[in-house]
Amino acid sequence: MKARILDRADSLKIVDLLRAQGHEVIAPFRGRGRDTFFETVTDQNRDQVQLHLPNPYYPPKRYVFPHIERLLTVKRDNGEIRIQPSYDQRKRAIFGIRSCDVAGIYHLDRFYLGRDFKDVYYENHRKNLFLVNFVCTDPENDIGDECFCVCADTGPAARDHFDLQLMDLGDEFMVVAGTTAGEALFADPIFKKATETHVAKRRSILNQARKEFKTTTSWFSATVRYVSQGEILERTWEEIGNRCLECGGCTYVCPACTCFTVSDRQTGPNEIERVRMWDSCGLGGFTRMAGGFNPRRAVHDRRNRRFFRKLAHYFIQRELSMACVGCGRCAAVCHGDIGMPSVVEMIRRATAEVEKRESVGH
Amino acid sequence: MRGWHVHEVASSPDRLKTPLLRQNGQLREASWEEAFAYIASRMKEIRNQYGPDALAFLNSPRCSNEEAYLLQKFARAVIGTNNVHHGTGVYCNNSINVLLDMIGVPATTNSIAELAQSEVIVVDGVDLAKRLPTLGGSVIRAKLGGAKLIVVGTRRHRVAESADLFLQIKPNTEALLYGAMAKVIVDRGLMNLPFIKERCRDYEAFLLQIAEYDLLQVSEACGAPAAQIEVAALSYARARSAALLYSSSMEERTRDSIRAVVNLALLTGNLGKAGAGIFALTEQNNLQGVCDMGMLPDRLPGYQPVTNAKERAALGKVWGCQAPSEPGIGSRAVLTDRGNGRVRALWLSRHDPTNTASLGNVGETLRQFELVVVQHLFLTDISQYAHVVLPTTAFGEEKVSFTSTERRIQLAEKVVDPPAGLSPAWLQITQLARHMGADWRYESSREVMDEIGEAVPIYGGASYENLAHDYGRQWPCTKDRPLGTKFLFSESGNGQPFRFIAVPKPQSPMQTSRDFPLCLVFGNSLYYWNQNVLVRHSETLKREYRSLFLDYPEGFVELNPEDAKELKVRDGEKIRLCAERATAIATARVTPEIMNGTVFVPHFMRDVELQLLGGARNGDKLVPARVEKEVA
Repeated sequence: MKARILDRADSLKIVDLLRAQGHEVIAPFRGRGRDTFFETVTDQNRDQVQLHLPNPYYPPKRYVFPHIERLLTVKRDNGEIRIQPSYDQRKRAIFGIRSCDVAGIYHLDRFYLGRDFKDVYYENHRKNLFLVNFVCTDPENDIGDECFCVCADTGPAARDHFDLQLMDLGDEFMVVAGTTAGEALFADPIFKKATETHVAKRRSILNQARKEFKTTTSWFSATVRYVSQGEILERTWEEIGNRCLECGGCTYVCPACTCFTVSDRQTGPNEIERVRMWDSCGLGGFTRMAGGFNPRRAVHDRRNRRFFRKLAHYFIQRELSMACVGCGRCAAVCHGDIGMPSVVEMIRRATAEVEKRESVGH
Repeated sequence: MRGWHVHEVASSPDRLKTPLLRQNGQLREASWEEAFAYIASRMKEIRNQYGPDALAFLNSPRCSNEEAYLLQKFARAVIGTNNVHHGTGVYCNNSINVLLDMIGVPATTNSIAELAQSEVIVVDGVDLAKRLPTLGGSVIRAKLGGAKLIVVGTRRHRVAESADLFLQIKPNTEALLYGAMAKVIVDRGLMNLPFIKERCRDYEAFLLQIAEYDLLQVSEACGAPAAQIEVAALSYARARSAALLYSSSMEERTRDSIRAVVNLALLTGNLGKAGAGIFALTEQNNLQGVCDMGMLPDRLPGYQPVTNAKERAALGKVWGCQAPSEPGIGSRAVLTDRGNGRVRALWLSRHDPTNTASLGNVGETLRQFELVVVQHLFLTDISQYAHVVLPTTAFGEEKVSFTSTERRIQLAEKVVDPPAGLSPAWLQITQLARHMGADWRYESSREVMDEIGEAVPIYGGASYENLAHDYGRQWPCTKDRPLGTKFLFSESGNGQPFRFIAVPKPQSPMQTSRDFPLCLVFGNSLYYWNQNVLVRHSETLKREYRSLFLDYPEGFVELNPEDAKELKVRDGEKIRLCAERATAIATARVTPEIMNGTVFVPHFMRDVELQLLGGARNGDKLVPARVEKEVA
């Protein structure tokens, strides 16, 4: 991978370059209080783009997998039925996407494009997407209380799946190209040669950043084993389920959640549109069958489904990565504090108790 | 869950785009000019012929502050009537009146974030998980952080699963329970005497009354063990700060049960400090705001009584004309019998009362109005009675403010453009006022808020510039205290003293007998939520809220699993409810949520209710009954 150096003052020029290439550029902005959000860059708001800020709760996955999206329209015209699919092929770039979210999009790639049948809607979004990854180094702004990418092995610096990667070295930014499209931008004179000193500085900043994470779930891999082998006690799941308020928030903010539902809406006297929208395994209607039977009627049965889907070996094997990227969003939005880090902790505690009891028994 | 899907409502293809006007019995599309001219001329005719009190204006507690303020101003200043009310008015005024009377402020006294500092949290009655999940989350997290959580209620809600102590009590025994808790506190000498001495009055009368409560008797009447009641009382009294949460919008909540809550907080000095307080929860997003704005038939913006001449004059200075002095007709009367037939024209703002089961047959009443104007996003069930329908903008399509259950005035930014041709409801009311000849000049919602600042003292500093900081400001937010107020009553000595109100010991609720061992309870259910206009236009919510309806297509009454087992009744089976003089048949829904020994009859089971109660329903009526298996 090639690396270049960019003056701090020039960082937003990457946005300008991408816009000049015809990309709709999405970048992070600051709202009120802790709020931050991704938004399309325009001439008016371009100077308000910020890189060092808390990662927006509403994840950038919506640019490849929208919250709600029209798939096709069906029109009846003189007895003839016409079906018109609608693909979004806009050329987009996300500037300042964090490493966890890069991993999230890669996970979606594996899910939607990685097997026999490709999801053509996803593919159309994805094929024109350019990713400018930003490495989290600032413990005040970038790294949140709930972040645990170091445990999910996705950050703070993504190793691949981005086009460009930016990292703050102080007065300068180091820029790494991950693809030929990214490398092509280096032709612009704003990019300067990187030296050994820069590389060393990058390494030392990154080593320091790794120590700034407050939430560490070192039991992650053990939890994967427990979940995969079905060793978690029913009462642990019940304890988790009792704290779920069934809002669906954890799935909507998750960069790696893939579930959707499909619905038809009437748009005119002889016309319907078919839309798909995010769905959530936390909701009762998600597994309810047409006859009324619900195999996961109890809340804890639905909650364990979420963690099974994310951590079980079967799925990890299928998608080549865990469906958890360590962004910590579920921990931040969950009313009942049963985001991933807490659940790993609850499982750890319960299992430790059992193991203690068993060893006493021997 | 509802918040995550708000976009589905706004993006629904069913949104109305043009005004509709009834002509020859049919609604047809009309221009805005035509619609306003028609409404204005009809309103003038009706006012001239029958007087201003022949018009009434109801809105939904989901309306913005700006919209609510202008609607009541339109009624009071342009039409000249106090017939204004929000749609949940039938429920919520008990709480407003009791709180004004006892502590002088009709709202939650403290902040949600302070729950993290509470040592004890009491949650009374409200299903936080379903109704106020964000607050439910704060409670659960406070509990995980070490607070003691006491849940009181008839139903076993999700949050009860996290409780240290769950007092499942028989319906309408809250006042008894809190009276007994007060007795325990007094007997153990745990009351906060310095606080009572310095800041409260009427303590002696309260003490006298409390002496009548007996822990064991109350325990039997409530159905909660005496030891648990005692532990709850002692924890509440011994906590450095204890918060008490109850629902302010439940019809079943009598004034006495709310008085008992406030007495308990006064007795232990749980006001005026962080982490303590009374949380009068408003379960709709802007119930607090529409009340603050004066959508009450007997109170002006800022809660001053309409009968108070001085306050009317003060408001008159801002308006340039005075509000009428007679209290208006409330929503229940308007929707039941048009206030004895006096009301002839009705304005309904984002409000669809036809599906409010607790009101009975609203359609019949609506048919009798000479003019019904509906402001809504969709063609709702009431449209069939409407003479004019004005489509309006949705959440996120207009810049307006809302006031949350912790008095927080929040600015909602415009983030998407509304469909072409749609204007915000506050602007439509302004335009109509101009058609009626009033000199209203609001060009933006910001100007409306500036006037609210003048008319409502507690909003005095809540300009849009100020609200744009952080997550808004909590009232009182005045020019002197622009940052707002996290918790009330931090300084003692100013303002009126708090007032104890002795609650006469309620009669023990109905007695069950050998022949009628169970107790029928009537109340609201989520069953009909799928009929809610906003839910109906959101795909995900429709699916989620419909499942109860699909599982029990003929409705249900609820039984506890233990009772069901004893009666050999399975979920989904037909049962016969036998009261002393009447019987009714219904499907049983067996759920551990409800208390042993009770049968819950939701209000939407109108036939069952009518058969068992015969005629008008009384909110706190309990009926002894027996359940028999119905053999088909």
